[in-house]
Amino acid sequence: MTATLPDDTPPTTTREKADPTMTTSTSPDTTTAHTASSAHRHRATTAPAYRITLARVIRAEWIKLRTLRSTWAMLTAVLLTIVGIGAIAAASATGAVEGPRDGGGPGGGDPLSTVLSGSMLAVVLVGVLGVLFGAREYSSGLIRSYLAAVPARLPVLWAKVVAFLLAVVPVVLAGVFVAYVVGMAVLDAGGVPTVSWSDPGTARVVLGTAGYVVGMGLIGLALGVLLRSTAGAISALLAGVLVLPTLAGALLPEAWDGLLKYLPSNAASAFTSTVPTESLLGAGTGVLVFAGWIVVAVAGAAVALSRRDA
Amino acid sequence: MLELQNLTKRYGDVVAVDDLTFDVRPGVVTGFLGPNGAGKSTTMRMILGLDRPTSGSVTVNGRDYRTSTAPLHEIGALLDGKAVDKGRSARNHLLALGATVGVGARRVDELLDAVGLAEVARKPAGSFSLGMGQRLGIASALLADPSIVMLDEPVNGLDPDGILWVRSFLRSLAEEGRTVFLSSHLMSEMELTADHLIVVGRGRLIRDVSMTEFIASAWSDKVRVVSPDATALAGLLAAPGVTVTSSSPTELEIEGVPASEIGDLAARHGLPLHELVPLHPSLEEAFMELTKESVQYHGRTDGALLTTAAAAR
Repeated sequence: MTATLPDDTPPTTTREKADPTMTTSTSPDTTTAHTASSAHRHRATTAPAYRITLARVIRAEWIKLRTLRSTWAMLTAVLLTIVGIGAIAAASATGAVEGPRDGGGPGGGDPLSTVLSGSMLAVVLVGVLGVLFGAREYSSGLIRSYLAAVPARLPVLWAKVVAFLLAVVPVVLAGVFVAYVVGMAVLDAGGVPTVSWSDPGTARVVLGTAGYVVGMGLIGLALGVLLRSTAGAISALLAGVLVLPTLAGALLPEAWDGLLKYLPSNAASAFTSTVPTESLLGAGTGVLVFAGWIVVAVAGAAVALSRRDA
Repeated sequence: MLELQNLTKRYGDVVAVDDLTFDVRPGVVTGFLGPNGAGKSTTMRMILGLDRPTSGSVTVNGRDYRTSTAPLHEIGALLDGKAVDKGRSARNHLLALGATVGVGARRVDELLDAVGLAEVARKPAGSFSLGMGQRLGIASALLADPSIVMLDEPVNGLDPDGILWVRSFLRSLAEEGRTVFLSSHLMSEMELTADHLIVVGRGRLIRDVSMTEFIASAWSDKVRVVSPDATALAGLLAAPGVTVTSSSPTELEIEGVPASEIGDLAARHGLPLHELVPLHPSLEEAFMELTKESVQYHGRTDGALLTTAAAAR
């Protein structure tokens, strides 16, 4: 997909060197002076300085993502959620704080599930962040300016995916690792059995949980581009992707379970839990199926983006 | 250079743009004129590859714009000054857009200065007035030194000072050999800026003429005269090729005789004149005459709205 744009020019700009200095007044006269002095350059349409490259479009999307306050608020919330809820759940499991009456607590006694229980909320936050990043330019009409600047269109989607991953992956990874370390320390201090990193499945579950959270963000982003509406895409994400599988599992006869385990969140459960269950796929298959859902969502967004009138 | 060939856009049964064929040439300011709903914005979106034509084609500098390797350097466009992310600053808005072709912070700061937004560059664009939004939109159009500048209703919301600035600015862009294409629904805006006019109505091409030709075609030599002896004067003026109409006993509208001759004639016969006014129709009137068949949304001027409002109260 990187072949969509010529990518042979460096992302750094040589533009400034060629640019005549404009004066600092805002009067029509000085503006005229500027444009007159640049007259000799505008015919060279393919001047390397103004070439569009995928690296440059990624940079543009990165600027867009980092210059919105909501991005930082969301990322902070994601980090606090994963670590904070994990620590509280761990403390609750040790009895240090009062837990639910039945003593089950989130995770049902499995130490890894307990310390990573914040991911259940984080996945919603990251999903919503993905939706916002994918859909908010449609509500403002700004998408037209961006697609006019990148008329090949698809690079905008690839760049959004890359920029989103650049922002979200480090935060989510840091979140699950800190939650693991802090959570296990709390459990250990409370005399509750813990698991170590070298135990079979630990690394898979911790990294898998991060992958699940980030993957739902990508599905959210794709839904945002596909539906072009923040409200619509958030509803679709929450209802269709997160709630429906649980609801369907509870309501449909058992015969359906063979199909339900292929739904995104159920496929993710296959690699985010240590306890193997009959009703879930194997961990490896789960990863493939979940990745398949991401590919389908992004491909759908790509088709919609390139075909539709903006 | 923009070349439109039988460009057509249908939305279901509605034909928004109907078989438009015209060129927009470099070195002149081309005005794209038509009443609301004439298809101007749709046409501009098709030029930018945002909307796909139902049939026909459009090329930008001889090629399909979607295959451009330096898009912002080919066309800088302002479509909607209000299309900004409310929480993002004007400067970051331009930085993000410019980044696609490697335009950096220095150029962005220069442009913000040039359009008069330097002081509010770091304020959220959502707090901008309509006029400030237009200035930001114009800055975004100029980011990558484009060979074509295309602006949809650029002076919308600008104060008189801003309008003057845009006019002289567009003129200078055209003088440098750039293609300048701007739309408006007001003739008065074009009158002082455009060298060439593309007039559309209901999606169809009505005129593709130079401004000089348009002015010549709009010319008339009617003269209005107010005189207490209007009837006597009308008698003296009667001749083949001269039409005299009268709306009141003291007032005449004369076609076919220059104002100077009417004045001389009245003086020779000792008839007092209170008014002697050559009536050149404004270009606005000429434009409205041209497009009156194709105006899509007619407002009523009979005061029905006021009466209904009063009755409702």
